[in-house]
Amino acid sequence: MITRFLTNVRVKFNPFSPRAKPARLFLSLIPPDARASGMVIDTKMLPRTSKEPATLGVKFKDGKELNLELDKMRITEVMEEVDRHSRILARKEELTGN
Amino acid sequence: MPLRIRLRPRALCLRIMHPKTPLSASYASLATATTPAPPIEHIRSVPPVLRYPPTQPPSHKPPEVRKTQLHRQYQSLLKSSALILLFQHNNVKAVELMGIRRELAIALDKVDAERAKNGQPLFADQIKLQIIQTGIFASALRVVEFFNPVESTLDHAQHPTDPRTPTSVQITQTTNSPEDERFKHGLSKHAWDVASNRKLKIELEPLLSGPLAIVAFPAVSPQHLKTVLSILSPSPDFPAPRRKANPDLYEPAVQSGLQKMMLLGARVEGKVFDMEGTKWVGGIEGGIDGLRAQLVQMLQGVGGSLASALEGASRSLYFTVEGRRMDMEEKENPTKKEE
Repeated sequence: MITRFLTNVRVKFNPFSPRAKPARLFLSLIPPDARASGMVIDTKMLPRTSKEPATLGVKFKDGKELNLELDKMRITEVMEEVDRHSRILARKEELTGN
Repeated sequence: MPLRIRLRPRALCLRIMHPKTPLSASYASLATATTPAPPIEHIRSVPPVLRYPPTQPPSHKPPEVRKTQLHRQYQSLLKSSALILLFQHNNVKAVELMGIRRELAIALDKVDAERAKNGQPLFADQIKLQIIQTGIFASALRVVEFFNPVESTLDHAQHPTDPRTPTSVQITQTTNSPEDERFKHGLSKHAWDVASNRKLKIELEPLLSGPLAIVAFPAVSPQHLKTVLSILSPSPDFPAPRRKANPDLYEPAVQSGLQKMMLLGARVEGKVFDMEGTKWVGGIEGGIDGLRAQLVQMLQGVGGSLASALEGASRSLYFTVEGRRMDMEEKENPTKKEE
């Protein structure tokens, strides 16, 4: 997963719900130095009895925001969505020549 | 099968044994080279010979692989730990992990130093942050929860090849094959068969995915739990130690490592608690002794109030009758006085 274009990650999930798995796995895919290079990661854990669906909010370097409801998504789908925009940004970066 | 060496039949007949017992002495035609059986009184039963070492009965997977060793370690950890906290560690670096463990050890030693003054049991050195292999941990948890063979005390007391075992003892006739269902240890194929029944679900199952680390406590001690929570998952209920008191905790490596640790839940004496439940357990005042004292107080109060409620009816009756009697006496006396 391309993470260098993410500035802000906000996750909310109930760890006891089996549908929270993509949320937890997304957090584990973030590289170890991401926080040091400026990414803000905010985790909120819901109580066990909560029926609220798991949500993931991501902000990119160009200001785009992506909000995903992880109820019906698998981690591969989540990664695809995030990567789609990241690849656009990567191409822009390549073209502007850095 | 025909003999490889061609022997002349006459040569066989010549090899007759001269037995000492009277049984086959007179039967020269019974020219077989077998010792006759001794009389019934002299027969002694020989205990069965185990072909596996007593400390390593046959296991489902090969015993020398790391998986089996870890499985056994996790089983023993689950059985011996009263309280287990579950954390997710997201790409924590080795240096950060080192720092976190160091801070945890320092904080727990402080708690133990206080407990030593009160003479309470110390277990700071048994509480460690351990990263676990999630799949094997899940399998070990299933075995621990669902495999409960009926253990008789004789299984542990006597062993067939021990010379002190009397020969009349009943011994489980286990064979050497791992498939034998008489094995009662957690690594056996029988244990795996029982535990892998997919109809049984463990409560902790949704938590057991992804990278996990555990902190295991040998006993439920709210003091130690409070300390661990204040370091590993600080919150308004469990504030982290101040920078002035503990400057090493605020090193960039340790802080970045701590930000990547997420408390998922806890398993307390077989029951599963979420984050709030864990905080509640940590918030019990005074530790286990305080809890016991509260319980005793409550029971005493209950007993007292129950007793007074039961005798309340008769007591009020007594007072009523006494009061009436006093009244009547007073009435009589003044009339007497008047007279």
